[in-house]
Amino acid sequence: MSHTVLVCDDAIFMRTMISDILSEAGYEVVGEAETGAQAVELYRQLKPDLVTMDIVMPDVGGIDAVREIVKIDPDARVLMCSAMGQQALVVEAIQAGAKDFVVKPFQPSRVLEAVQRVLG
Amino acid sequence: MDRSQYAELFLAESREHLSTVNQLLLEWERDPQASEPVQGIFRAVHTIKGMAATMGYGKVADLAHRTENLLDLLRRGDLSATDEILELLFQSADSLDRAVEASVAGREADLDVSAVVRAVDQAATAYEQMVPRPAKARPSAPVVAAPPGVGRRVQVVLRQETPLKGARAILILRRVEALGTLFAVEPAPVALEAEGFDGRFAFRIEAAVSDEVIERTIREAGDVERVELVAEEAAAPRPEAAGGPARHIRVDLRRLDALMNRIGELVTSRDRLAALSTQRADPELEDLAVGISRLSGELQEEIIQARMTPVWQVFDRFPRLVRDLARRLGKQIAFRVAGKEIELDRAILEEIGDALVHLLRNAVDHGIESPDERTALGKPPEGVIELSAARERATVAIRVQDDGRGIDREKVLAKAKARGLVEPSTETLTDDLLVRVLARSGFTTAARVSDVSGRGVGVDVVADRVRALGGAVEVQSRPGEGTTFTLRLPTTLAIVRALITRVGEERYALPITHVAETLDLDAAAVTQVDGRDAMTLREAVVPLVHLRQLLEVSGEEPARRPVIVLQIGERRTGLVVDRLVGQQEIVVKTITPLTGMLPIFSGATILSEGLPVLILDAGALV
Repeated sequence: MSHTVLVCDDAIFMRTMISDILSEAGYEVVGEAETGAQAVELYRQLKPDLVTMDIVMPDVGGIDAVREIVKIDPDARVLMCSAMGQQALVVEAIQAGAKDFVVKPFQPSRVLEAVQRVLG
Repeated sequence: MDRSQYAELFLAESREHLSTVNQLLLEWERDPQASEPVQGIFRAVHTIKGMAATMGYGKVADLAHRTENLLDLLRRGDLSATDEILELLFQSADSLDRAVEASVAGREADLDVSAVVRAVDQAATAYEQMVPRPAKARPSAPVVAAPPGVGRRVQVVLRQETPLKGARAILILRRVEALGTLFAVEPAPVALEAEGFDGRFAFRIEAAVSDEVIERTIREAGDVERVELVAEEAAAPRPEAAGGPARHIRVDLRRLDALMNRIGELVTSRDRLAALSTQRADPELEDLAVGISRLSGELQEEIIQARMTPVWQVFDRFPRLVRDLARRLGKQIAFRVAGKEIELDRAILEEIGDALVHLLRNAVDHGIESPDERTALGKPPEGVIELSAARERATVAIRVQDDGRGIDREKVLAKAKARGLVEPSTETLTDDLLVRVLARSGFTTAARVSDVSGRGVGVDVVADRVRALGGAVEVQSRPGEGTTFTLRLPTTLAIVRALITRVGEERYALPITHVAETLDLDAAAVTQVDGRDAMTLREAVVPLVHLRQLLEVSGEEPARRPVIVLQIGERRTGLVVDRLVGQQEIVVKTITPLTGMLPIFSGATILSEGLPVLILDAGALV
């Protein structure tokens, strides 16, 4: 059975790209969220194996969403998607419970490596 | 122990820690519920206490100790971070700062920190009295010292291309933490997040798992180049020499300056040697010249890199400054900083610190309106000031941007007319003209002199400072929308590539930082605009400056003359010279301008032929 993924990013472009990379590699993208609040809600409903989470989003940001998701499920596997120069935020996300991170611009191979590490 | 030799180290490190404290206090103030800031502040104050005690600076150590007690209550949640407590911590940080400086300067005796000490003690004992507790309930040593020889030493090197190395390192540390107890993480976890972290770190771990498990756990965290485990003997506290984590030493800046100057001279000699060897047509000499040329080039590159400093070293002190000013003036301001990792030559960075203070003060005082005024204008009550650094072509652009009321052009224009700075017929001030007027010495429109800004020093001081560095200032301002000042700076000072030009018998050097292109002056393309020569360049009109006329050089003009197009931001000027001689790396030496000297020179240099020449200041010509 393939692993299920929830993709969270406020930009459609990024969601599409991440979904494509993951689908092509055989993962099943079961949901897309465009805000942190939506991601938390969808996590509750879908219980995916993995969440990819953008850090900076309007409304509830990625880091807060990680905190909420970890509250729901302490074993949640969240992979942060960050831009260069967001080191402090990434560290905060790790402290909040994120399992790994990838840095934009995305190289499919690096995204998949990180996904495998997290699901490993 | 002779402590004096450690004083500078103590000073430098304490300043860094206090800068961290200030930053974390600001963070904490924004989010009093957050628990991370207090941990960081506690560590910094604790470190200062230890260093000060070693140095014998009793007052610093005492104040740090008492502050640490208060912080301990806060981080354990026994006290909560109220406004009063935070304000007290800010004061305490200021006092520590003063105490550190005074102690190092040998003026500890004149120092009085008793008021703050009392206030801090009061805040701490207020709690103790409220909740009676056994005297020895608290562990006295909060920082875990590594027992010698315990555990295995682990060195990790991240792959060179790893993005966000600090975050990766922290991720790895979190993973291995699950295996056992970590000691002696080097560099300290806080430093992992600093910009200079190169991906090498080490720690000791005491854990009931095999080396293989530790190594696998680390490798599974990703981006790991190398892991080395060493079972450590008690007798060998420092096993690694080379190849361990990157080690830093502090070097007196004057040494670096001296080294840079010597290398500058070496570069000049190198060019002379190269010229000579070409003349002599001696293959052996030429080989030697090429070899020396390569070596000195590499040496120069190294020293330039060693001098490069990320701008956060200066930027990091501004959030506090803006906060304090905003409070005093009753403004609400969100202060943002971007591009902190951009690097500049240390000397440039130090020079622009004051200039940025001026611009930030102006933005807080004159730019951002009061919350009431903003609300009445339909703006959010909180104003935004952004300080950013970015690499743009060969320069670094540092911007101070506010979303306040903008510069009152009519007022500036009226004042400029009154002082005869612009033609009486001028109807509007373009951004170009605006920056020229503001940059004039002593120009201010502040009706009253506040103690924050408007003392008649401001943009003119900034412009002078930036021009002396070979940079330029731009301003963009829209009424009601805000003002942006841009400082365009060269990334390095001492050695620059310059175009060597000739006018009459003299040569002049022009740093290529602001040179956009060079072309032949096509007589046909020259027109007159407002009584000045100009040329058309790809459908744009570019004003011309004839260096020959400016310098009052007599004699015959050559028929074909080149134009050097100088560009600063959007502004361009064509500089007409007699001839382009070539390009060369020059060592910039500052000069004291003689009276009556045209204000178009920024320094002097010696060409590889041994000829002294003046360096033209692009900022003054455009």
